[in-house]
Amino acid sequence: MDTGKEKSNIPEKSQSFVSRNNEKDEKKEGNQPDSDQNHPQNNEITTAEAQEPPPDGATEVEQDNVAGEAKQDNVAADPETEIKEGEEATDLKNEESSPLPPDLNKVSEEIDQYISNLSSSKQDDSNPPDVPIFVEHFAVLVEAKIEDYDYSDSPVKWIQLSKEDSTSFLDSINRVCRLSSALSEFSSEYKYAYTINRIDGVLQRAMSYIEEEFKSLLEDHKLSDFDHNNNHSKPRQSTSSNPNQDAPEPGPVEETNSPGYVDENLSNLIRLSTAMILGGYESECRLAYFVARRNALDESLHKHGFEKHSIDDVQKMQWESLEREIVAWLKIFRQCAAVHFPSERKLSNAVFSDYPLISESMVSCLSRNMVIQLLTFSKAVAMTKRAAEKLFKFLDIYEVLRDVLPTMESLLSEEIVDELKTETSLIRSWFADSMISIFGELENSIKADSGKTPVPGGAVHPLTRYTMNYLKYACEYKDTLEQVFREHQKIDRVESATGSEFEYNPEAQAQNANNEAKQSPFQLQMMKVMDLLDANLEAKSKLYRDPSLSSIFMMNNGRYILQKIKGSTEINSLMGDTWYRKRSSDLRQYHKCYQRETWGKLLNCLHPEGLNVNGKVVKPVLKDKFNSFNKMFDEIHKTQSSWVVSDEQLQSELRVSISNMVIPAYRSFLGRFSSVFTPGRQTEKYVKYQAEDIETNIDELFDGNAAPAGRRRV
Amino acid sequence: MPSSDNQSSSMSFASYRRPILGIRNDQIHSMGANHDSNAQELDSFQRHVFAQFKDLSAVSPDELLSITWVQKLLDAFTSCQEEFKVILSNNKDQLLKPPADRLVSEFFDRAIKALDICNASRDGIEKIRLWQKHLDIIICALDARQRMIGEGQFRRARKALMDLALVMLDEKDTGGVFSNRNRSFGRHKGKGHRSSGHSRSLSWSVSHSWSASKQLQSIANNLALPRGNELAATNGLAMLVYTMSFVLMFILWVLVAVIPCQDRSIQIPFAIPRQFSWSAPFFLLHGRIMDESKKREHRNSSGLLKEICQIEKCVHQITDLVDSAQFPLTEEQKEDVKECVRELSLVCEVCKSGLDPLERQLREVFRKIMSCRLEFLGKTTQP
Repeated sequence: MDTGKEKSNIPEKSQSFVSRNNEKDEKKEGNQPDSDQNHPQNNEITTAEAQEPPPDGATEVEQDNVAGEAKQDNVAADPETEIKEGEEATDLKNEESSPLPPDLNKVSEEIDQYISNLSSSKQDDSNPPDVPIFVEHFAVLVEAKIEDYDYSDSPVKWIQLSKEDSTSFLDSINRVCRLSSALSEFSSEYKYAYTINRIDGVLQRAMSYIEEEFKSLLEDHKLSDFDHNNNHSKPRQSTSSNPNQDAPEPGPVEETNSPGYVDENLSNLIRLSTAMILGGYESECRLAYFVARRNALDESLHKHGFEKHSIDDVQKMQWESLEREIVAWLKIFRQCAAVHFPSERKLSNAVFSDYPLISESMVSCLSRNMVIQLLTFSKAVAMTKRAAEKLFKFLDIYEVLRDVLPTMESLLSEEIVDELKTETSLIRSWFADSMISIFGELENSIKADSGKTPVPGGAVHPLTRYTMNYLKYACEYKDTLEQVFREHQKIDRVESATGSEFEYNPEAQAQNANNEAKQSPFQLQMMKVMDLLDANLEAKSKLYRDPSLSSIFMMNNGRYILQKIKGSTEINSLMGDTWYRKRSSDLRQYHKCYQRETWGKLLNCLHPEGLNVNGKVVKPVLKDKFNSFNKMFDEIHKTQSSWVVSDEQLQSELRVSISNMVIPAYRSFLGRFSSVFTPGRQTEKYVKYQAEDIETNIDELFDGNAAPAGRRRV
Repeated sequence: MPSSDNQSSSMSFASYRRPILGIRNDQIHSMGANHDSNAQELDSFQRHVFAQFKDLSAVSPDELLSITWVQKLLDAFTSCQEEFKVILSNNKDQLLKPPADRLVSEFFDRAIKALDICNASRDGIEKIRLWQKHLDIIICALDARQRMIGEGQFRRARKALMDLALVMLDEKDTGGVFSNRNRSFGRHKGKGHRSSGHSRSLSWSVSHSWSASKQLQSIANNLALPRGNELAATNGLAMLVYTMSFVLMFILWVLVAVIPCQDRSIQIPFAIPRQFSWSAPFFLLHGRIMDESKKREHRNSSGLLKEICQIEKCVHQITDLVDSAQFPLTEEQKEDVKECVRELSLVCEVCKSGLDPLERQLREVFRKIMSCRLEFLGKTTQP
């Protein structure tokens, strides 16, 4: 008691004395040759058997068990020596300083009693009792314990402590906290000032150690392993025009463990964070947690391929590289919602399980930071020059922004969700504008495609191929495009009213006007592109001098278009049956045209007119007929076998219809008139072909075999 | 373009500037009513710019560079940008044709670069928020209203100060206000301070090689006064684009000066043209801000934002106190601590309430710039 009073009278001196004393102890320990930071207990026994025995007898052995084999052996082999050494040390110490209480447990009990006394004496409001000596003893003991762990150079890692040690440490710290807050009720009492300061100092030492251990535990994590749970890919059938298009989408959120922390670390994080918050060091705890998790998330983004690019750099990037970046971004953005944020929430809910408000604010801050960074990239992409090939990636980004946000809504606070909604809907509208104008550019490029060189053999024009494949691929995003045009097209439509877009085809305009009520804006857009393509092809077909070849060209391209549409349920449903039927009948018209043009003329040669005069066959006329038939057929065969009909079905339809038209006529002509010629040379000269030969030759048409003569006509 | 060239060209430009304006006016006047309205539009834009920046440049030294002032600056910019947008769309036809189309596309290139600086400023605000988290600890430790301040709390404050110093140093390669402090921490710390770089490295939203000052420089570089023939050929629109570009560059320069940005510098050489009706406020502001930056206490500042400077001052004082104080504290020291903490709490309050709106405004500026570009260029791509 006396010493205690003395100390409170001269706080500075006695404080420094005690701490100097501790330093000495520490040095002494450091000088021991076998001093090992992993064995603080060992040293405790030597220097502080009196000063700091283990909390209870039972834990002594257990502590040693955990501390390591070698030491355990040592203790087990010769416990006597240990204790002896300890006694000697105590003796030495006793000579130097005031006698110290023998047992932290006993002191702890006294402290607990004292805390409860303080609370009741506060209610009395009378003159509070003096601070008893064991408070100082308690401070010294706890401080020594902290010093044991928190070496200046290499502090004991929290995870290296045994469960018992760490529990007893946290118990002591908790007692310090309670003592500190009980004492703080008396902060106006002068005689308490020293003790309050003293205990607060001990608390700070402890908290400093705990904070650093909390940080290093937080840093001890592995990257969350989310590559395993996202093999579920988007339901898009083809990637024909863009093989690396589909970024895998994470599947339903799996039960992931808190990001990368083993269970033991997690439970330590919970214990340390609770200790810090109870000790009044909540700000430190929040900051440490925030910084560590932010760095971890950042690192994880980086590891998964998210590069930070300035908006300016993104503008300068080649599309191929940017495309790769977008693919990575799409993946990461989905992962954020599916994996990162849920597991981040889980972690912070676990660490701050008793403090939902802290948990909430941590998750919000962390997620917000991350989303803002990610959104910056999408903004940068939205600013890049528009180009047809970008449509699909733009659609991907649009979809991700649209689809991922609802997932985030359930994870983030309302305030942040509102902010994100505004941001994402703005970015989406930018992308939508871009996409709508990409379609505008598609229209322009179709209109502008006015090459004067016809495709040889009347084959499918590259423009048809390009446009149809583009549309087919685009229509795999049909629903999204419907949404884009429905929600964002307003401005454009006002503009188009003043423009001259429909002038090229007043019929289509009228037709569109009729159907407008039931057609969606995107359907109208598709119709417009298809009509433009038709108009362009029509113009291109005029480049062929041979009307038959014009028809073949129109049939080839028309068939290609219909095949593409038939092959894609999306475009098919957009264009509708009526449209399809109309186009099919157009094709039949071209077919008829062709037959008439080529084969009608040929069959004219076989017309019996003028052959029979007074019931007799006029031989020269017959010769003429055969000659001109042969000549014309040869010519057709030569020319048209160089023409191209690559669609097998169309090719066979054509051949069959030609055969059906020509062969019966020829056969019957042959039947009627071949006998007029004398067998032998004359027959051979005029009847060049048997019906079978005609069929064979017809089967050689449209093979694209450029016979030398075929080159004359294109 | 090196600064000296720029400077000299703008200096000498003043002397032959008048005849050029004359040409423009003559031309406009000779073009009849339609173009008179155009000229009026352009004149009113210049007046608008002047009016917006005149008040900003005339504020008291106390208000200059404060958060509220920066907010007003951004308001001024937004207001100019809106006017600009209207005139752009009124003159769309002409702006899509050469030679004006080149000017417009250069402007939008600058606008893209501006977006990066907007983002960098936003990062900077995030950075100040991080400082605040450290400052909260210091305030919590040293606030006498909450507790008796003993050695433990002093150690706590010192620890937070050291961490803060590392964070504030982080974005500055050159020694900042804390470089000396930091060394003194080394002497004073009783126990080894385990700084594992834990709170280091705020995640910037740009790559490590990105530099605010380089970005600003590249905006300033291709910003040249329109030549006489350009003015004539664009019916004065070249002047409009130049003026808006200048305003844009200027507010970006201020942002980089006041807010912590990656590799920031205030020494960006650019010329302020002297001959315009709106020149004066910019001259005044530029001068005042440069003077401010040359003040000794601001020389190594993380940003010239008034609140940052106040924070740095408080932190400085508190660090000195914490380093030098002996226990028990004298009444004078207690008073000093109290005063410092009071000041620090005040400025932290200002930051807490001011940074959110400022950030929102930066986002708004970003949007405005972006939609101006997208809307205008969007129109150009319509069939």
